[in-house]
Amino acid sequence: MLFFRSEELIDQWCSSRATPRRPSVRVDQLWQMAVTWYASRLHAESRRPGPSEMRGIFESIGLHGDFWDPQADTFG
Amino acid sequence: MDLDTQVKLVIYWNTAERGQPPGIVEVAKHVGESADRVRESYARLARNRLLVLEPDGETIRMAPPFSGVPTQHRVTAAGVSYYANCAWDAFGIPAALNRPAEVVSRCEQSKESLRLTIGLDGPEPSDWLFHCEVPAAKWWQDIVFT
Repeated sequence: MLFFRSEELIDQWCSSRATPRRPSVRVDQLWQMAVTWYASRLHAESRRPGPSEMRGIFESIGLHGDFWDPQADTFG
Repeated sequence: MDLDTQVKLVIYWNTAERGQPPGIVEVAKHVGESADRVRESYARLARNRLLVLEPDGETIRMAPPFSGVPTQHRVTAAGVSYYANCAWDAFGIPAALNRPAEVVSRCEQSKESLRLTIGLDGPEPSDWLFHCEVPAAKWWQDIVFT
């Protein structure tokens, strides 16, 4: 889970490693992911989101598809 | 409050205060239990994906979003420096602390430095991007690689 300066640099990095190009995420979307996962982490009642919650969270910030589905079986 | 919750809070609160996870002896002292019982609690917290442990079962590699080892993702908040496990966790630290922070990292391809100010409402406008190689269904198969 890494930062990149541009889409082109993600393409170059994936190509150089022969690794699949995945969807890129904007910093405002990443912030929403961070808040959802971690805003209550220092509290007694905190817990990780379950699979269906995860799907809902990703969809709510515009991240759709099997890549973001924690129960997808399409990646081997 | 059950032991696992107490142990989790001692780990997270100490890491938030100092930037590094505490040792097991210190955690045991805080919760008033033996190191063996705390080690058992660590194992349960790891199964629940709240900790990632080194093979010794007591050294904390990750208390997400905090990293117990140096990484390329540095976060500074209220004068305390932290390492994050990944780009997501670099944003996760200010979110967990509920404090403004500065994130320092890099572009993995060009190695250009990233320095981003995070306020209580999120990051300053930026066209930097985040890319995750591993699909969500496989994140915890090898969380250190992910």
